[in-house]
Amino acid sequence: MTKLSLTINGRAHGPVEVRDELSMNDFLREYLGMTGTKFGCGAAQCLSCAVIVDDPDGTSYTSPTCVASAASFDGKTIRTVEGHAKGDELTALQKAFIRHFAFQCGYCTAGFLNEGQVLLERLAKAPVKRADLENTIAEALDGHICRCTGYIKYHEAVRDVILADSRRYLVANQ
Amino acid sequence: MKSELRFQLAVAVLAVAASMFTGYAVSQTAPQSLASPESFASISDTDARSAAMFTELGKVLTHPRCTNCHPATDRPRQGDEGRLHQPPVTRGADGHGLPAMRCSICHKHANFEPGRMPGHPEWHLAPREMAWEGKTVAEICAQLKDPARNGGRKLEELIHHIGEDTLVGWAWAPGAGRSPVPGTQKQAGALVEAWVKTGAACPAQ
Repeated sequence: MTKLSLTINGRAHGPVEVRDELSMNDFLREYLGMTGTKFGCGAAQCLSCAVIVDDPDGTSYTSPTCVASAASFDGKTIRTVEGHAKGDELTALQKAFIRHFAFQCGYCTAGFLNEGQVLLERLAKAPVKRADLENTIAEALDGHICRCTGYIKYHEAVRDVILADSRRYLVANQ
Repeated sequence: MKSELRFQLAVAVLAVAASMFTGYAVSQTAPQSLASPESFASISDTDARSAAMFTELGKVLTHPRCTNCHPATDRPRQGDEGRLHQPPVTRGADGHGLPAMRCSICHKHANFEPGRMPGHPEWHLAPREMAWEGKTVAEICAQLKDPARNGGRKLEELIHHIGEDTLVGWAWAPGAGRSPVPGTQKQAGALVEAWVKTGAACPAQ
């Protein structure tokens, strides 16, 4: 057993004793009832289970939860799909996903949303040229699998958010 | 068919089957062991003894547990079959993956058996110049003696790297579904040490 303490969507959880073989995905879904994070392939292949990990240095990245122990998240700060909207107010990316009907069954949406959000935050700190934007989005979303084949719509939704606030996300005069 | 011919055919089939099973048994058991340096004492020629010990060490160095992360390309391999790593990851600038797909995102500090995920705090690819995949034992031997292709190590430092480095040591405890490299890390370290002390000769092939 390991004592687990972490912050999820700004709220502290634990310390709580968890079995060493408990996956982070099961901890979120079964212990905390946070079922927005999905369990897909169970092998870190589809990334529907990905959550955002916020490092102390201010950088963020997504991490699969199906192949990682809950204990390995001890002391970490993470965000899940439940943490994006502020009350009833959806984020720009969530609205864009709806506008583009980027998802059909929705099973992969949490992973795409988290990945897209990490990309937006990264571009806000390190903008890219407009000419590099398509590749940047494609590389960021690469690895997330959508069985409904919504890749283009996800891509377009992310691009729309970036272009709607280009002074924030893109290098000026490019 | 005459009975004599039928008998000869039956014997032939049995012989082939027996040889197949024998081969299977050998392939299942022999790689699990690693000969000690002392077992090569009967080879009087020092260079030949040194080369023979490296050939024995080659059982470790050419094993998928090693070559999967000493790949010939920028993409690691996985499994006992050495299939290309899924998801598709590449080494990145420092061998720890691309900025958006670092090795440590999935590979945590230890193996996580429920997810069948191998782990170690320093999980990363060997540098490109240390690629072993697809090479012969002789080629790897020459590579290991070249500081430009062995991570800038002196030969003596290889004793520690192979015999004590904990990431290398993972190959002997790789977790469920992955066959460990033969012998023990201590035995492998002893072979490296004996190889170095006998002149670090390389096998011809």
